Amino acid sequence: MAAWLVRRVAASIAIVLAVVTLTFVLVHLAPGTPFLPPPETPADPAVTARLRAQFHLDEPIPVQYIAYLGQLARGNLGLSFALRRPVADALAEAVPNTLLLAGAALLLDFLLGLALGVYQALRVHRLPDIILGNATLFIYSFPTFWLGLILVLVFGEWLRWFPVAGVGDPVLCPAADSLRCVIDRLWHLTLPALTLGLVGAAGTARFQRAAMLEVAGQDYIRTARAKGARERRVVLRHQLRNALLSFITRFGLAFPFLLTGAVLIETIFAWPGMGRLATDAILRRDYPVVTAAALLASTLVVLGNLLADVLLAVADPRLRVPAHA
Amino acid sequence: MLGAMRATFLLLIAVATLASCERPGGCTGAYCGTLVFVSPGEPDILLPPVSQQVSTRDIGDQIFLKLADIGPSTNTIGDEDFQPQLAERWEWDGPTTLVFHVDPRARWHDGQPVTAADVAFTFDAYNDPAVASPFRNALRRVASVTARDSATAVVRFRERYPEMFFDAVYHMRILPAHLLRGVPRDQWKTAAFGRQPVGDGPYRFVSWHAGQSLELQADSTFFLGRPAIRRLIWRFTPNVPVAVTQLVAGEGDALEYLGTPDNVSRVRAAQQMTLYPYRGSSYGYLGFNLTVNGDTTQPHPIFGDRQVRRALTMAVDRARLLTSVFGDLAKVPPGPMSQLWWIWDPEIRQLPFDTVQAARVLASHGWRDSDHDGIRDRAGQRLSFHVLVPSTSGVRKQYARLLQEQFRTVGVQMEIDEVEPSVFQERAGAGRFDAALFGWTTDPSPSSGLVQLWSRSGFGGSNFLRYDNATYDQLVERATGGVLTREQARTTWRRAIETINDDAPAIFLFAPDGVAAIHSRVADVNVRPDSWWALVRTWRIPPDRLIDRDRVER
Repeated sequence: MAAWLVRRVAASIAIVLAVVTLTFVLVHLAPGTPFLPPPETPADPAVTARLRAQFHLDEPIPVQYIAYLGQLARGNLGLSFALRRPVADALAEAVPNTLLLAGAALLLDFLLGLALGVYQALRVHRLPDIILGNATLFIYSFPTFWLGLILVLVFGEWLRWFPVAGVGDPVLCPAADSLRCVIDRLWHLTLPALTLGLVGAAGTARFQRAAMLEVAGQDYIRTARAKGARERRVVLRHQLRNALLSFITRFGLAFPFLLTGAVLIETIFAWPGMGRLATDAILRRDYPVVTAAALLASTLVVLGNLLADVLLAVADPRLRVPAHA
Repeated sequence: MLGAMRATFLLLIAVATLASCERPGGCTGAYCGTLVFVSPGEPDILLPPVSQQVSTRDIGDQIFLKLADIGPSTNTIGDEDFQPQLAERWEWDGPTTLVFHVDPRARWHDGQPVTAADVAFTFDAYNDPAVASPFRNALRRVASVTARDSATAVVRFRERYPEMFFDAVYHMRILPAHLLRGVPRDQWKTAAFGRQPVGDGPYRFVSWHAGQSLELQADSTFFLGRPAIRRLIWRFTPNVPVAVTQLVAGEGDALEYLGTPDNVSRVRAAQQMTLYPYRGSSYGYLGFNLTVNGDTTQPHPIFGDRQVRRALTMAVDRARLLTSVFGDLAKVPPGPMSQLWWIWDPEIRQLPFDTVQAARVLASHGWRDSDHDGIRDRAGQRLSFHVLVPSTSGVRKQYARLLQEQFRTVGVQMEIDEVEPSVFQERAGAGRFDAALFGWTTDPSPSSGLVQLWSRSGFGGSNFLRYDNATYDQLVERATGGVLTREQARTTWRRAIETINDDAPAIFLFAPDGVAAIHSRVADVNVRPDSWWALVRTWRIPPDRLIDRDRVER
């Protein structure tokens, strides 16, 4: 197991390095130029040339790449061209916002989705299953941004129950430095997390219902019942545990979303997270931020896969690698 | 299961109720008030010489002072329409020397006095190539700025011209030398000062939460008068529609530019908001590349012909396009100009909308539909071209589609290439386009825009179309140099613009009106068209109109 883990970690590092290299080269070769003036403002070529020199963009790409790797080895992600500050500072502000939003959305997605899926499977083809099946299909068909706009319109503009944008009230709580301001953050989190979480939960519920039903017909379930095991034990110990394998795989795939964020939802709710940071950086050809975002995202994808594999091995002993392997 | 869902819902309602109960503080009277600006842009850095962002200017207007500022007329000729700011007065010492007397009451927010040495230091910084200031070019005709004594700054110009005073005061916000002298000039673009600035204006910096908000607090000792509104907060949003949603939902108090008729309608329906129209500072046009796509040494096979350009211009019904896109929220510009400029004059000579004449000219130049496919051709070449459009501009994308249709009716094919702004800028700069839909925002002076975009000196810079007319260049030189009265300058500019209109290097399509939205509780509102929030320090919220957020103490 340890040797397998070491091999997987080494491969993961190689994958991350490859992604960073590819991103670095592609973003430098892509058409478009950094240091643009604001929209509808003429550029001064002398200023642009000066800035290119100050940020070493006038050097060949291989030279820039080697310098970048040197910086990276020292833990320095560079300076953002557009934000005029260290990339690490920008990430340090965006990452927690994205973690909060995506974490809450994933929690809602998996807990609600899992519960609904199990509930439906236990009442298969009965009225609750039919109603929930149609409801989840209906919600799952929504484009996420559209649901976001509807929630903003109804709960933000019309009813004014929840704020329509931002991570907090800048008048009362520009920072989450008191209990009241933490509650204010949760209040602001409600609509964007619901938007992302509800659509996800609808998908998870359908997925989990199918997995539960597939397992329900297996011999070991019949055996457990024949042995006189109580229904609760059959469902939780035998049916749900086996149906969780595909759920764990899904969780592993969803893990990178924790940091890459949801661009459209972050835009609709003016949520300053990684998705918006990366998209703005791409549009403005802010190379250091784009490369750092790719570094983070690829690390998360690799970690997510690793985590899923480990969890699968824990959940299903058959998948554990023999000691001699 | 349903019980758990009900409990979750109730918990959400409880959180909403608790969080929505604002805690009114004790502030009452004439000096309370919190204004929340919703801003579709965020400053990159709050150090005026190194940033061209509109939001940097808006916020910088509150933190840093100029020596003097432009008046409501936005007249840039002479000095009579300018108002004192940091300089309590000024006088001319000969034709090219201007002497400013710094107000002795002026103080930096750290308590240090503002001196003439700060003024000299500021000019030196703006003019230092290491700072890479985008405003350096605007100061090219200022020879030097020196401190005669602690309260007297002397500005010397290289030559005499009508906008000397404008150049001396408009572009520079005076900086604290004692705080910036130690910062290497080539590091100003990322200086820590720019994220925690110390200024001399009516508001002092409090905090900046990147991507979220920025707060300023009124300086109660401000020497030109205590601002009546106590707190200014900028909430940053990704775009105008989201900003409008925040206004409508009551989460913001002011937005400088609503843009489209849809946004204006949404805000008009919100009872708590008032709309303030002002002269817009931008204009847009379809520009023709006069040289070959990708080769600036050869004339363009279609647009190199002046008569063809004139015919294409006459084929476009600009008034109808304008109504389709902007409703009544814009005007057809009489040339390359925004409504902000004092030379704006609808009577300037322009080519008429006349499709019959356009078709006749095209046919007389050999462009006929010989193969009856609906598109004119000549010697095997179709009258077809590509137009570059930035994918982020909804207005210009709409215009592209409407133009495509209008050109089709006279047998001209226009293909639309939507590209990212950075690609648009790169291709325009390299001359790799046939035609492009440009939009420009201008400062109050016609000089810089008309020189950079349309004269020969703009080659390699912003004269992307490579428009070249010696008569125009001479007229511009006369309008921007020498000694002219305002009326003489106006006449000269008019002739210059008519020269461009006659040559038709572009079809001038729209000059939007500005419409700002501000909460109705705010009184004495004055929106300056060139810098919307420049006069916020004179606005007030009467005590009987205060709402909860005005009273909040933190």
